Amino acid sequence: MRTTSQQREGRLLLTPLVAFLIIFLSFPALVDIVYALSNVTFQTMRAPEMVGSRNFGAVLTDPEFWSACWFSLRFGVLTAVIECALGLGLAIFLSPIVSRHGWTTAILMLPMMVAPSMVGLMYRLVLHEFAGPLPYYLTLWFGTSPAFLDASHAFWTLVVVEMLQWTPFAFLLFHVAYISIPSEIREAAAMDKARAWQILWRIELPMMKTTIAIALGIRFIDGFRVFDNVFALTGAGAGGSTMSLSIYIYQSFFKGGQIGQAVAASALLFFASLIVLYGGAMLKYYLERRRTTA
Amino acid sequence: MTKLRSLLAAGVAAVFSFAAIPGIASAEVTVLGWPGGSEETALRAAVESYNALPGTAAEDKVELLFFNRDGFYDKLQADLAAGSDAFDINLIATYSIGRYAPFMEPVDLGADAEKVFGKPILETMQFEGKQYGVPTDLSLHFMYYRKDLIDALMADQGAKAKYAEISQKYLGKSLEPKAPDEWTWDDWAATALYFTKSVNPDSPVRYGTVLQMKNLLFNMMVFQSLPRSFGADWTDESGKVTVDSSAYRAGLELYKKLYDAGATPKDSLSYEYPETNAAWTSGQVATALQWNAAASELMDPEKAPAVAKDTAVVAPPAGPEGRKDHIHGLGLGLNKSSKHKEGAVRFLKWLATEDAALTYAKAGGSPALAPSVVEKIAADRPDLVKLGQFAGSYGYVMRGATSAKALSVYEAQAKEFTAYWAGQKSLDDALSAVGQSMADLLK
Repeated sequence: MRTTSQQREGRLLLTPLVAFLIIFLSFPALVDIVYALSNVTFQTMRAPEMVGSRNFGAVLTDPEFWSACWFSLRFGVLTAVIECALGLGLAIFLSPIVSRHGWTTAILMLPMMVAPSMVGLMYRLVLHEFAGPLPYYLTLWFGTSPAFLDASHAFWTLVVVEMLQWTPFAFLLFHVAYISIPSEIREAAAMDKARAWQILWRIELPMMKTTIAIALGIRFIDGFRVFDNVFALTGAGAGGSTMSLSIYIYQSFFKGGQIGQAVAASALLFFASLIVLYGGAMLKYYLERRRTTA
Repeated sequence: MTKLRSLLAAGVAAVFSFAAIPGIASAEVTVLGWPGGSEETALRAAVESYNALPGTAAEDKVELLFFNRDGFYDKLQADLAAGSDAFDINLIATYSIGRYAPFMEPVDLGADAEKVFGKPILETMQFEGKQYGVPTDLSLHFMYYRKDLIDALMADQGAKAKYAEISQKYLGKSLEPKAPDEWTWDDWAATALYFTKSVNPDSPVRYGTVLQMKNLLFNMMVFQSLPRSFGADWTDESGKVTVDSSAYRAGLELYKKLYDAGATPKDSLSYEYPETNAAWTSGQVATALQWNAAASELMDPEKAPAVAKDTAVVAPPAGPEGRKDHIHGLGLGLNKSSKHKEGAVRFLKWLATEDAALTYAKAGGSPALAPSVVEKIAADRPDLVKLGQFAGSYGYVMRGATSAKALSVYEAQAKEFTAYWAGQKSLDDALSAVGQSMADLLK
């Protein structure tokens, strides 16, 4: 079968995209697979020695890896739930004001405009006993100020810092979903003498559940992979107490020079993410099927 | 189709043009320096002088390149390993020479370099007996103290009695206040406890000291001089790791004792260089073991108006093995992938001359210079005289601390030692874990 000039042109036009994908996605992925199966350091990056699945074994038997996984999981779940709960509350509570004065949205969005690493540096200053305003006023009013970043408080301090920066993101999603609910539905419910909480619980929240699920998912992913602000604020923390999975991979790669092990850990994270995404897709499919058959 | 061909040809031409630009731009020698701070200012001044020399050929002119400080060594590591020729000369540090040496070339600085810097300082830039760079800046630690507070303590009989009582209670021995230059670590600890509000409500300041205890490798460099003065080393002569020693135990326990007693701020487990400076400049701290580079900030009346005039420095206190001061050199060396090696070597050799070293020092750099050289700028830079004295008298490098895994050893220590200080691990467990990590890293 002969190719037409239109087909040839089409292929030619596709070539840059294919080349881009090969160079920027396939090649690094291939290198990652080779490194994950090799004994490789910065000195031997061009001549890695294949060691099979040894790096995966080393990662899976490393207590620090599991400790970092636990930190990331706890951090991801907690921050996602808190941010979404607060964001939802604010979206509903502030809806009349924000709808009337659109410019207030810009103010509420401000924390999201700051780079996470800058947020980390900012809170290093804000929470510093001698330079920060918060310890200053706490000491002034109560005679003492807690050690926000010591080993026993650092986790919750980091959760609050993350929450303060990213709750506006959840708020934005929920605000858009909330105002897009047709007003006729609310009016009809009101005519049926439904109370405000009944409208919220039986009409508004069910209509926003897709947005809630998306917001929870996005915030969990962002929280789980947290790096910048934690690294700037506490590093890995005393004894590794604030080491997230991203910090574990970074430290194994650059500080420890264990490139194979670091890449194996990132590959495990990738496979785990695939399983979670696949599980999520399956659950959605199951729920939709059940709804259509009901 | 004709249009498409023209577009493709233009695209290819554009790609080649962009590829050619770096080649044209890199006709000069490019130096990747340590960004920000006095090192950058000094290097800019030295390069300006070099480029203005009548004998500097156009193709040997030096241009400067700076990254951000954050993650600098990691980015440098990645660039060197990738064979980048974006720079001909790059920064090296004593504790990372072994890591970068495979991607660099040794340089012969000539016999006069030893007359300018002295042999021990040149050795901070050596790996396996080869010279890998010109030592441009030397870092060590000063014990900063508040002269006004110590003078008042020494002159007050009642205060001396309180001091003896506190030292008996916390350190198990009754001590008398001494001049800071005569301090042992116990004297320093007793002074720190005396000036701690929670221990001594009459203290004029909140804390007796400020310890940098964050899980960070640079903090381990600051801590290291304490166990070293008790005889600590990373390995013995046979290469066996000796971190589980009475010397390290003594140092770690003293830090924990001060932290638990509240002699250092509660957040000290998240403190590093800037937090220590902020604590000091607040005027609420009596002593601090801190990098020499902080002197320009802590003793400057404009930057530290509350304390500058009363801030003084001595070498770190003494242990049973005398006083020890951890030295850490920064320097510039030759990238193996450089395309302008001859020009780069010419600049490095010039940088190792007396004229260049004095230019660098006058512009704010901190080179450790031989006594005959430093006296020429003693009036402008009296701190460099002290730097040279401390480095020559008390400077040390741990055995194995210039190996390829030296920074990883500091990382391992930072993780385990901070776990002990935070109360997450017992001393035995922390030392056992760090011993195991060090044995793996230094084998």
